[in-house]
Amino acid sequence: MRTTIKIFILLVSAAFLQSCDDFFDVNDNPNNPVEETLPLKAKLPAALVSTVNQEVGQLNQIGAFWGGYWGTTNEGISMFVDLKSYNGPAIRHQRDGIPVWENGFTTMLYYQLILDEAQADSEIFYAGVSKVMLGWHFMRLVDIYNGMPFDEALNGNTFPTPRYEEGAVVYTKAIDLVTEGINDIKSALITADAVSADILFGGSKSKWAKFGNTIKLRGLIHQSQVGNQAAYISSEIQKIQSEGSDFLGVGENAFIQPGYLETAGKLNPFWESYYKSVQGVSTSFHQDIRPTEFAIQQYELRNDPRAENLYVRVDGNFSGVLFGNPSAGDADYDRANTSMFKGPAENDGFPSALFKSYNQPSVLMGSFESLFLQAEAAQRGWIPGTAKSFYEQAIQESFDYMEVDANAFATYNVQTTVNFDDAEDKIERIIEQKWLALNSISSIEAWNDYRRLGIPAIPNSLEAPTPASRPVRFMYPETERMTNNEETSKIGSDDMLNDPVWWDQ
Amino acid sequence: MIAVLLQKTRCWLFFMIVFVTYANGQELRISGKVSEKGTGTALAGTNVVIKGTTRGTVADQDANFSIVANRGDILVVSFLGYVAQEIEITSEASLNIELPADTQFLAEVVVTGALGIERSSREVGGGAQVVNSESLNQGRTINPIFGLTSKVAGLRINMYDSKVDPQIQITMRGSRSLSRTAGIDGRGSNEPLYVVDGIPIPTIARLNPNDIASITVLKGANAAALYGSEGVNGAIMITTRKGSNERGEVRFSHTTTFSDVFLLPPAQTRFGQGTNGTYNPTQYESWGPEFDGTLRDFGTPLPDGTQPQLLYAAPSEDARLGMFQTGVNSQNDISFSGGNAVSTYFISAQDVTIKGIIPEDESRRTGFRLNGSRKIGKLTTSYNFNYVYFKKDMTPDGPWIGAYQLPANFPYDQMQNWQDPLSIGNPLNYFSPTGTSNLKNPFFQIDNIRNKTEQQTINGKIELDYQVTPWLKAMNRTGLYSLIEETRNTTGKFEAAGTRNVNGSVSDGNANYRRINNDFILTANKSVGDFETRILVGHNVRIDDKKTTSIGASNLLYPDLFNPGSRTGELNGSVGLTQYRSMAVYGELSAAYKNYLFLNVTGRNDWVSVLSPANRSFFYPGVSTSFVFTDAFPVLQNNNILSFGKLFASWNKTGNVTLAPYQLNNSYSQINGFPFGNAIGFVPSSTNPNPNIEPEFVTSYEVGTQLGLFNERVHVEASYVFSDSKGQIFNATTSTATGYSSVRVNAGQLTNSIIELNVNGDIISKPNFVWNAGFTFAYINNQVKALYEGLSSINNFRQSYSVIGEAYPTLQVSDYRRDPTGRVVVDAITGDPIIASEMTTLGTLVPPYQMGISTALSFKGFNIGAQFDWRMGGWLYSEMVPRMYTAGTHPATAEFDRQPFVWPNSVIETSPGVYVANEGLSTSSGGRAFWTRQGEVQINTAAKSDFFKLRELNISYTIPVGALAWQNAIRHASIGFVGTNLFIIRDKQNTMGDPEYLYNNTDGYLSFRQVPPYRTYGFTLNVTL
Repeated sequence: MRTTIKIFILLVSAAFLQSCDDFFDVNDNPNNPVEETLPLKAKLPAALVSTVNQEVGQLNQIGAFWGGYWGTTNEGISMFVDLKSYNGPAIRHQRDGIPVWENGFTTMLYYQLILDEAQADSEIFYAGVSKVMLGWHFMRLVDIYNGMPFDEALNGNTFPTPRYEEGAVVYTKAIDLVTEGINDIKSALITADAVSADILFGGSKSKWAKFGNTIKLRGLIHQSQVGNQAAYISSEIQKIQSEGSDFLGVGENAFIQPGYLETAGKLNPFWESYYKSVQGVSTSFHQDIRPTEFAIQQYELRNDPRAENLYVRVDGNFSGVLFGNPSAGDADYDRANTSMFKGPAENDGFPSALFKSYNQPSVLMGSFESLFLQAEAAQRGWIPGTAKSFYEQAIQESFDYMEVDANAFATYNVQTTVNFDDAEDKIERIIEQKWLALNSISSIEAWNDYRRLGIPAIPNSLEAPTPASRPVRFMYPETERMTNNEETSKIGSDDMLNDPVWWDQ
Repeated sequence: MIAVLLQKTRCWLFFMIVFVTYANGQELRISGKVSEKGTGTALAGTNVVIKGTTRGTVADQDANFSIVANRGDILVVSFLGYVAQEIEITSEASLNIELPADTQFLAEVVVTGALGIERSSREVGGGAQVVNSESLNQGRTINPIFGLTSKVAGLRINMYDSKVDPQIQITMRGSRSLSRTAGIDGRGSNEPLYVVDGIPIPTIARLNPNDIASITVLKGANAAALYGSEGVNGAIMITTRKGSNERGEVRFSHTTTFSDVFLLPPAQTRFGQGTNGTYNPTQYESWGPEFDGTLRDFGTPLPDGTQPQLLYAAPSEDARLGMFQTGVNSQNDISFSGGNAVSTYFISAQDVTIKGIIPEDESRRTGFRLNGSRKIGKLTTSYNFNYVYFKKDMTPDGPWIGAYQLPANFPYDQMQNWQDPLSIGNPLNYFSPTGTSNLKNPFFQIDNIRNKTEQQTINGKIELDYQVTPWLKAMNRTGLYSLIEETRNTTGKFEAAGTRNVNGSVSDGNANYRRINNDFILTANKSVGDFETRILVGHNVRIDDKKTTSIGASNLLYPDLFNPGSRTGELNGSVGLTQYRSMAVYGELSAAYKNYLFLNVTGRNDWVSVLSPANRSFFYPGVSTSFVFTDAFPVLQNNNILSFGKLFASWNKTGNVTLAPYQLNNSYSQINGFPFGNAIGFVPSSTNPNPNIEPEFVTSYEVGTQLGLFNERVHVEASYVFSDSKGQIFNATTSTATGYSSVRVNAGQLTNSIIELNVNGDIISKPNFVWNAGFTFAYINNQVKALYEGLSSINNFRQSYSVIGEAYPTLQVSDYRRDPTGRVVVDAITGDPIIASEMTTLGTLVPPYQMGISTALSFKGFNIGAQFDWRMGGWLYSEMVPRMYTAGTHPATAEFDRQPFVWPNSVIETSPGVYVANEGLSTSSGGRAFWTRQGEVQINTAAKSDFFKLRELNISYTIPVGALAWQNAIRHASIGFVGTNLFIIRDKQNTMGDPEYLYNNTDGYLSFRQVPPYRTYGFTLNVTL
């Protein structure tokens, strides 16, 4: 009997142990690919879309409210309350807040992982693109939060509590990173894969170089009001000029087109959020977001033909709303009595200023923005060329984007409210027109200009804590306070109304 | 209801007739007298029944009885509180029967240990508590886990929703793991193991509580050492009923209970809809003027031009109750059992239907069980088979989320007929055009958004025991657990402009989960002199497979056709495959000396598939001892005061892997609309993976004593437990500046210091009158000792933190700036309270003091059983509060008449550190923006979570056998009243809800999604044939 048992045990053990390795070999994920199995070309498009989605969604929205373009109807009184009332703690809230920081870093991780892999595999083009885009994001986050990690950022376990650096330092390092990126791209071999994966410029080295230079110029323009930066700015301009590719010019837009489809979640995100759902039903944002009275005045003051393509007339007039809570019960600000944003459905099926079709490309940076940046730089004497011609080209590019007949420009430009030569303050004139062009497209830059220069004279929110208080930044997010509080506290106070970012001191 | 019941009963009567058998023989007249053994007290009212029949009688005032019986019949003489006697009738005689008092001897309690091995309580060296079927079913629970609540020291059970399939959170002896992720079987990292008849299964929520003979709760890793990793949080060992070698038995029971919603968070009833104090007929928020009893417009005119109007006044009864109905729960059970010398069987069926407190919500559970065994020579075969069909049909969280934000005079009664084009409930006419879907007409949401689930659970085992030699036994036990789940979520299309529009959508899901578990165990026993030894060697294999499939469309074409075939746009779909494998070899050496000193040594090696090959194998040992000192020393024997005494101690180390499959690498997926046709785009997950994760280890010690006092009328068990969990596997939340929002690590350390006490005794033990009371107490000090990478604090979830040196988990909230005496500092210019930059730590989110009080009173045929649950020392916070502040429905928003006010007990800082009482500076406003900001200050959302509640009450009456003597079918019958949650006492600051109702397995967190709790009351009927 004992022998039988022994044999039995032996057999059982043998059966189990022999097949052991196979038995446990079930831990390869059958549901999702992992880093090693995916080529770079499968990763870059997702990173670029992630960047532009934050631009046209979250950032554009913040800028549109704080940059003076948007308000809400009476019916939309309970929408965007935190932005209307400058409620810093609510904005930084981990769930109900506006996670610019978190979204920014999540996207930056995509680029960082592409960069690491590209450098290991000598895929120089992908490495360069990642550097340019990382530079873009670092500057964006400094614009919103000021000081932040750079050297220790995006390093996973190596630096679990990344050290914060001054906003100015991060800016410098970000601009250097863009410079490196441009150099990488220019030295890269462009493969067919890179051409299809690059949903921004289709593998065009020169466009990337121009784009990189424009990002750097924007970073330099942001610091125009900071004392003692002249030498730095001029050395950086020098680098751009010796690089030689110039900036994005007429007809050169940074548009992202992944191939939007007529399916929920796959439409152009700006269209799907602010205009119509896939069924063609007008979205709640379209129903309740309205131009401010101030915005309408600005266009009407200049007999601006773009207004017609931007807004729908109500009883023959453009009527806006007031940002913040309009007086309750004042029917003037009801949905029915105010001008909604115009789209093809309100424009006999033709594309309008902002809404053209469900598969319109997303705007990362329009040529008009680049030209206004160049106009300002020329006016400040940083770059050669005449500010006036950049200015006029920029307006024409804006007309073009907003579907205004090119012939309308001449009449428009002769007006003293528009003409560059008639302006006493050229910078002010440039920024006024830049403001009219960036409307609802890259609104965050309008808010940046307002913080920097106070132009145009945007009325304050009616729900501001005090009539004089204006938002100058975001507080550091709660998620950061919970995980890296020591570093966050070290970098200084983050009061939303009193502690501006470094270039807005 | 009664008619249905009768109809069902009639059906069962058929069975009664079939099953009742008669014995025919020579009739003898038997008479006798019954008295208490030892004292000779006459036991008037004793039941005397002929075994296997319903013929019987009751002893008279002098305890005399007489009955006609046949030769060979067996008389069963029973009396409450005494051990029944069986007497075989051989001749006509006068009997003098003595009944000994019924005493439960601690030493004789049978504990179901790890691997289902039954052992005497005296030899167990870890904490184990047995809950019998009667106590478990006192509240006529539907989910057996609820029946354990507050009955076992150290076991915390929270029921956390009140829909038709209530969910639970269960934690034994505090948290050992910082991890929140569930394994492939869905069991949480701090959840105990469930073992049914020796087979580990993922959940027992669908088990029929009436099938359970007893539950042994093995507390902690020490008692469950042989289960290894799985037993690190203890094990709930369930033994289901078996047939016995007696006459067949048929049991029938019916319970109907009613559920009523209660503990709604209070709302203000002074102000109605509008903004800035001005009435607005289309505004859902309550920032309008004060209610004035006039008729006011409500919404915009209907299609026929009439303008709906409402009385602008809050009704006397809370209008929100109009969203709820009385729920009805109904249970029908029948079971058959029997057996003979070689085989046994037990068959049961149960049907449970629940009609929810939210209209149209319902669920139904129908289950069958077949347990049997047969002996064939040295081989004993046994098998269990359990099939449960469960379905539910519910609306998601939406309607209630809207309800607490709607005005106090919202007309729920006019909202139900929303299909009527002229109804104000019709989405086209509904008063508020804006808001998220949660704010639409609650009844429209209930009708239009449905989540349906059908589940089939198949669970069974085959067990072969072979007595190889008198000292050697081999056993193989194979278990199968299979869960087949089909879900269908639908939203009806409703076409309208803007936010009134509802997209039609459908999502069909399928989840198949299968577990095969096999244990092969050899046991050898050997006695040498005063020593008895047992050696156990075992091998375990576990194979878990899961496949989930979902397919759906978010853009359906027709309102009533829910099929992705009728859609525009692309099809949604996904498939998830998961596999898990593990293997273990374990052994146990037990030695006993003279049956009073016991030593037990265990060891186990696990291999798991979820770790890398280098880390996959791990070994861990344990040792425990028990010493029955009352048997060891002659001087202590036969002592009436201390009749039994035992000391026990154990040390144990357990390896554990709280990792789901495929977590060693970062997986990529397509989001943000990708793929766009042929254009692909993959992004990594935001959790930083770690391919080198190793097992975590929990070391625990336990010492305790078990005492039987006063002739075993009082039982006491006390223990001290310490556990230390190191190198934990969890996702540490990290700064997103690292690129990742969390990182998977082996880090952190949690300790638990626990004192447990369990006292149970008969306060009164008299003939026909027994009053038993029990008290369980646990103090759990759960501390965070170390965290990840030098961090002193980690966020767990929302306001829940792990802070080194503090209790786990800790509640931290944003607070107002305060002067040294705690007064709120207001801004010297605006008068508004200033928000402090640092968080305030309030305390632990888990009550460290957990107590249960039970009382059972039996008087003649009447039984009253009650279970009280008492928890102290914890905190909670509710995310409903900020929403109610914003919506203007929270009572605080009306406290100061919606006007600027001087913040109570506030100060102004005149110069740094100098605070002057604020006597006249009012806040900047008393309106919406102001109160919304106060809602963001989390101190306003927190309260102590202390409570004392009557969890279960059962009053029943058992019909005396004498009263059943006229018929032959029914042997036992009782009828009763049952109720749960009949009253609750909470901390007075806690107006938010039931502290037990924690959202989705969190700690101390009440979500804005949760439906308020309910209480139940009803009746129950039991009949045994």
